[in-house]
Amino acid sequence: MTSGATIRVLIADDQQMVRQGFTVLLNAHPGIEVIGQAVDGLDAVAQVAELTPDVVLMDIRMPELGGIEATHRITLAHPHIKVLVLTTFDLDEYVYEALRAGASGFLLKDASADQLAEAVRVVAAGDALLAPGITRKLIAEFSRLNGTPRPPLKARVGDLTERETEVLTLIAQGLSNAEIARHLVVAEQTVKTHVGRILVKLGLRDRTQAAVFAYESGLVRPSGY
Amino acid sequence: MTNGAERRLTGMERWVVGGMRVLRDDLWTTRPDPLPASVWLRWLPHGLVILVGVGTTLAGVAQIAEGYQQGATYGFVCSAVQGVAVVLALWRPVPAWWLSTTVTVVVAMGARSQLISGQASDGTGWPWGPPALVAEAMVLLLLALRVPTRASAAALGLTAFLTYVVQGLIGAANYGPTGTVAVTVFAVVVLIGTALRGRREARNQLVEQAGITAEERARRTLLEERNRIARELHDVVAHHMSVISIQAQVAPHLVENPSEELKDNLAGIRQNALEALAELRRVLGVLRSENPEDPYGLGAAGTGSAPDTPQPTLDRLDALLENTRAAGLDITAVISGEAPAYPPGVQLSAYRIVQEALSNALRHAPGSHVRVTVGHDVEGLRLEILNSRPSGPVRPSPGVGHGLLGMRERAMMLGGHVMAHPTLHGGFLVSAFLPKDGVRAPGRDRGTPEGLELIFPDDPPPTGEEKR
Repeated sequence: MTSGATIRVLIADDQQMVRQGFTVLLNAHPGIEVIGQAVDGLDAVAQVAELTPDVVLMDIRMPELGGIEATHRITLAHPHIKVLVLTTFDLDEYVYEALRAGASGFLLKDASADQLAEAVRVVAAGDALLAPGITRKLIAEFSRLNGTPRPPLKARVGDLTERETEVLTLIAQGLSNAEIARHLVVAEQTVKTHVGRILVKLGLRDRTQAAVFAYESGLVRPSGY
Repeated sequence: MTNGAERRLTGMERWVVGGMRVLRDDLWTTRPDPLPASVWLRWLPHGLVILVGVGTTLAGVAQIAEGYQQGATYGFVCSAVQGVAVVLALWRPVPAWWLSTTVTVVVAMGARSQLISGQASDGTGWPWGPPALVAEAMVLLLLALRVPTRASAAALGLTAFLTYVVQGLIGAANYGPTGTVAVTVFAVVVLIGTALRGRREARNQLVEQAGITAEERARRTLLEERNRIARELHDVVAHHMSVISIQAQVAPHLVENPSEELKDNLAGIRQNALEALAELRRVLGVLRSENPEDPYGLGAAGTGSAPDTPQPTLDRLDALLENTRAAGLDITAVISGEAPAYPPGVQLSAYRIVQEALSNALRHAPGSHVRVTVGHDVEGLRLEILNSRPSGPVRPSPGVGHGLLGMRERAMMLGGHVMAHPTLHGGFLVSAFLPKDGVRAPGRDRGTPEGLELIFPDDPPPTGEEKR
């Protein structure tokens, strides 16, 4: 983070009312500052390169370049920038695609101001899944559509130690670092170290990606399978 | 009383009564049942039957006048009745059979005295004179071709029974017996007729079923299109709703020290918007497409509309034309007039109509030149998409007419209309009008709106060719 405790946010949405609204709502929260607005996916990619925000609020459906592809480009070029995907609709495969493309979380556009600010904070901090219950359900449901676990992913699970595999499973179940620490009866700092190693070994950006990975590799199976 | 009467009927009796009733229904009818023209022979069989009728009449005169020695006038009357029966069998086979059989029995009974007294020529055919035999065979064939097997079997049985009664029970003298030959010939003829009829019935059923399937498919297509339109419109509404919910939340931040009433009011607006959104999501869940590759039904084939883009408006028309040009169509766009602020529904429909028309042009007229005209006038939006004759080979494609149905639904919903028809030059023209306020004029029937003309270019022509 470039400016200490303040989380710098870029808003990408094709509707001006939405951009302005979110700007007002987020700026009203201490510790969050909206530093830019982008009108479509291409604009978002360009502005991210220029402003390097901490979090990008990204509408999934935008002209020129859709939110999923923009997310992909941004997270590929700037691994430290977190993308929070906004959707008018329900949680569907587009949201899941966005998570696979590198988004750290998602939020319905009609979320309350507090939920919005909280989501930005959680995504920026990165030590818990956003809306763990719903996220887990979403990943579980749509990873199933992708069919059988992909062997290369499965092989990479082998790189993890037994403890790390255990932590990954708990991440996929939506537990925060603190909860994992309680569950394994270890210090939270230890969990953070494990999570860091898992992400490095698997080449993943954050715990959302780790959760997606856990499901897609077949390490965690959706219940009721 | 009636119960008692019914109880007195034994099973056997009931069976006989039922059988008689069926027989009466089958054979005591003057229902018209014209013989349809043949596929290959057209009306030739009808001509042949009439020839047979005339021939048996002439031969019958000879048979009765010379064979039975009953006089030319009497012979002509009876033979003419038999000939008429043959021709009548083309339209009403059951009465024709009654007529032919009756006249034969009458003639046979009348000839008895002549035969017994030895006046008739020796060894002449009786009770079926050869012409009568041919006529009756013809009538039975035509009967078996049309009526159910049960009825033709009954007619055959009754004919055989009457023959037995006349020849076997009543009898005469000095005649050449024709009963056995006649009944054998009749049986063969009925068999052939029944077999042919079975074949024809099966084919008719097939045609009918194909018709039902086509109808069913058209209905499903229409429903799918309506579903898709509903989905898109709900999508647009949901977007507006979510913006309302955001604005209601933002508004208190825009004034200094907002009053409690203002805050409550805005909270109420937000609450209502959220509830509406929840309902909309439910509706969209119901309307969601069955196609797993395109769950929202928002992407259209061949025109590069990505699923993660918003519902299109008129502004997106340029991008659509560009994409279609890239797909290989030579497009000229003509825009006239100043575009007013159309409601989203009108913009979406206009975009989709152009999209479908271009998609059709891509499919049915690859390599053609297309002129897209968008006209804004005081009444509304006029669209015209005209493509020239295809320059490349046209691949046959299923689901034809799908796009046109969708266009029609979209235009009708807004009180507009669509016209689609081939041009004289081998091309195709789609023209549409959408009123600018996008409100359906009241009192218009949804099924057959005025000014709507929709011609499906690839539908089979309504000539009944496929009916056979």
